[in-house]
Amino acid sequence: MPLSLAPREGLLFEIWGFGAGIESQSPIAAWGRPILSVWSSESALDWGFSRPTSAISEDNEPVRKLIKLFIDPLGGLMARPLPSQGREEMIGPKGVIKKIEFVRTITKALYSLGYERTGAVLEEESGISLYSSMVDLFRKQVLDGNWDESLITLHKIGLDDENILKSVSFLILEQKFFEILEKNRIMEALETLRSEITTLSINKSGCIVSPSQRILLGFANVGTETLKPRMKLLEELQKMLPPSIMVPERRLEHLVEQALGVQREACYFHNSHESCLSLYTDHQCGKDQLPSHTTQVLQEHHDEVWFLQFSNEGKYLASSSNDKSAIIWEVCEDGELTLKHKLIGHKKSVLMVAWSPDDGQLLTCGMEEAVRRWDVHSGECLYVYEKTGLGLISCGWLLHGKQLFSGVTDKTICFWDLDGKELDSWKGQRTSKTSDVAVTKDGRQIISMCQETVILLVDRETKIQTLIEEEQTITSFSLSGDDNFLLVNLINQEIHLWNIRNDPKLVGTYKGHKRSRFLIRSCFGGLEQAFIASGSEDSQVYIWHRSTGDLLEALPGHSGTVNCVSWNPSNPHMLASASDDHTIRIWGLSKVNRKRKETYGNGACNGSSK
Amino acid sequence: MGRLFLISLEGKIYSCKHCQAHLAVSDDIVSKAFHCKHGRAYLFNKAVNVTVGIKEERLMITGMHTVSDIFCVGCGSIVGWKYDAAHEKAQKYKEGKIVLER
Repeated sequence: MPLSLAPREGLLFEIWGFGAGIESQSPIAAWGRPILSVWSSESALDWGFSRPTSAISEDNEPVRKLIKLFIDPLGGLMARPLPSQGREEMIGPKGVIKKIEFVRTITKALYSLGYERTGAVLEEESGISLYSSMVDLFRKQVLDGNWDESLITLHKIGLDDENILKSVSFLILEQKFFEILEKNRIMEALETLRSEITTLSINKSGCIVSPSQRILLGFANVGTETLKPRMKLLEELQKMLPPSIMVPERRLEHLVEQALGVQREACYFHNSHESCLSLYTDHQCGKDQLPSHTTQVLQEHHDEVWFLQFSNEGKYLASSSNDKSAIIWEVCEDGELTLKHKLIGHKKSVLMVAWSPDDGQLLTCGMEEAVRRWDVHSGECLYVYEKTGLGLISCGWLLHGKQLFSGVTDKTICFWDLDGKELDSWKGQRTSKTSDVAVTKDGRQIISMCQETVILLVDRETKIQTLIEEEQTITSFSLSGDDNFLLVNLINQEIHLWNIRNDPKLVGTYKGHKRSRFLIRSCFGGLEQAFIASGSEDSQVYIWHRSTGDLLEALPGHSGTVNCVSWNPSNPHMLASASDDHTIRIWGLSKVNRKRKETYGNGACNGSSK
Repeated sequence: MGRLFLISLEGKIYSCKHCQAHLAVSDDIVSKAFHCKHGRAYLFNKAVNVTVGIKEERLMITGMHTVSDIFCVGCGSIVGWKYDAAHEKAQKYKEGKIVLER
């Protein structure tokens, strides 16, 4: 017979059970275990029941039982969901949020924030309590240390999972055991151990035995770490119980953080630090986050500027030119660059520079000439490395700045220690006159040109050689900051991104810039190196979105081929470009955005805001 | 001009007469019997260190062809032309190949 029940506590109803069906399926429980709703279409059997604590009757007679029902919309969620259960109220524009869950999560958050009164008012006003009365009772009993009662209540809460029941019971009994022990009532403790804990027959007899052995030895050195404060026990229990019985701690905060994470991931132009995420609007960086305005033009070179690179910490910029000199620039607090040292000494155009890992020294390479080592702070030339009769064409550091290597015109790679002693020479790689050589930061992998279309990676420890094979001639390449990716420039105006972590794999292609005659370089940059930048023969600086390959910007300004670009590793808003028009341009955010950065910046955004 | 990227060839090399940039190797010669305004020219399978100009229709001794002039990457001087399309069937073999002037 259908009954309709209103959601109030403590209604007393008579319910008839019918025949064998009920008993065999689920002997009716005597006590307050929440029921969602009483009816499904046909049968009276279709009731939600959880595990009973005691079977009332096992005979097959129709049984009349008096059941005190606590109708609790919350606890009832533990039972089998029934088709005819009352429509749950949904909120939110898409109607996917259950109102009950929403309110309870907010209530929980209010309590965690310390707003006890507000939490209580919310529970009352909404009529949705945070915990069912059973759960409330359970919590109180745990905090008061009424272990035996708490166990009884535990069984009434309505858990389906036997294992959870066991684990929770175990923890409570364990706490009971240690507390009794603490009070030195050893016999009682042993009793608890033997009768109650072992009957749970959980596979934790191992850890139970040892404390008991200690007892037998008359020594109970139960450390304080095993006797937890009751609040901590309650927290642990909360984690074990299903979330609908006890809303997990900081659930609301977790959901919000998740949403922010999704927004951050989806942000296409994201180029500022995390602290700039707000809850008020969906986070979406605009293109204005890319450095696209010329903030400075550096004109100290007298001829084409062929190469430049920011130091590892981003405090300096080094540039090298056809005018046979290299220049070290300093990046000031306000984002302006000033000339620090002019490095004169080479007799040929300076092809490239390389920063030592600690940014204290700089290597410069003259074209088919010599490599010079300079001290960054004094600007002095510390050493000149040469190979008689041959010319050097590239340079780099190894072993945390204790060794250096150089590509030679005879197609070998030569290794020196700082004092000029030649340590090794690699022959057999066919390198062209404009070959690049690169080394990973840990000094393990050396990357060099092997053939026109092939790059060779050699692991110095395992001696394993890997090849990156392209279809077109390779003109230059550069490593990502994390040493896992290689950006390869090809003769056909394409830039390929290779993942070199394990077996090399092509993972991206970037097109749009112009290259037909010169060596043009590209680089990684921006926050988490999410962007790729490159020079171009049409005098523009090109910026692509790294993961999608979309061309984001083509920045005009230079009046000659842009040979090389470098993105400041510690300032995602600073990009430098070197051009045949003898100048270096520093690119940054527009004035408006720079000002905005100032007002919002709390110092965590980046160090050198204006 | 910037830092030139030049490919180096091995073998018997034909280079630009002004700047000596390598252009092609003798192994790639298809025919030595070509002529241009200034005299003889060779047909090569491929060439390096050259850039290709715009396509245009040109009437040559052998008929109408679509060609593009090619320029040396090192000095920019014109060094020959490339056949893009031939209008007559007999001339189709030239498509994609390059003529370098002697």
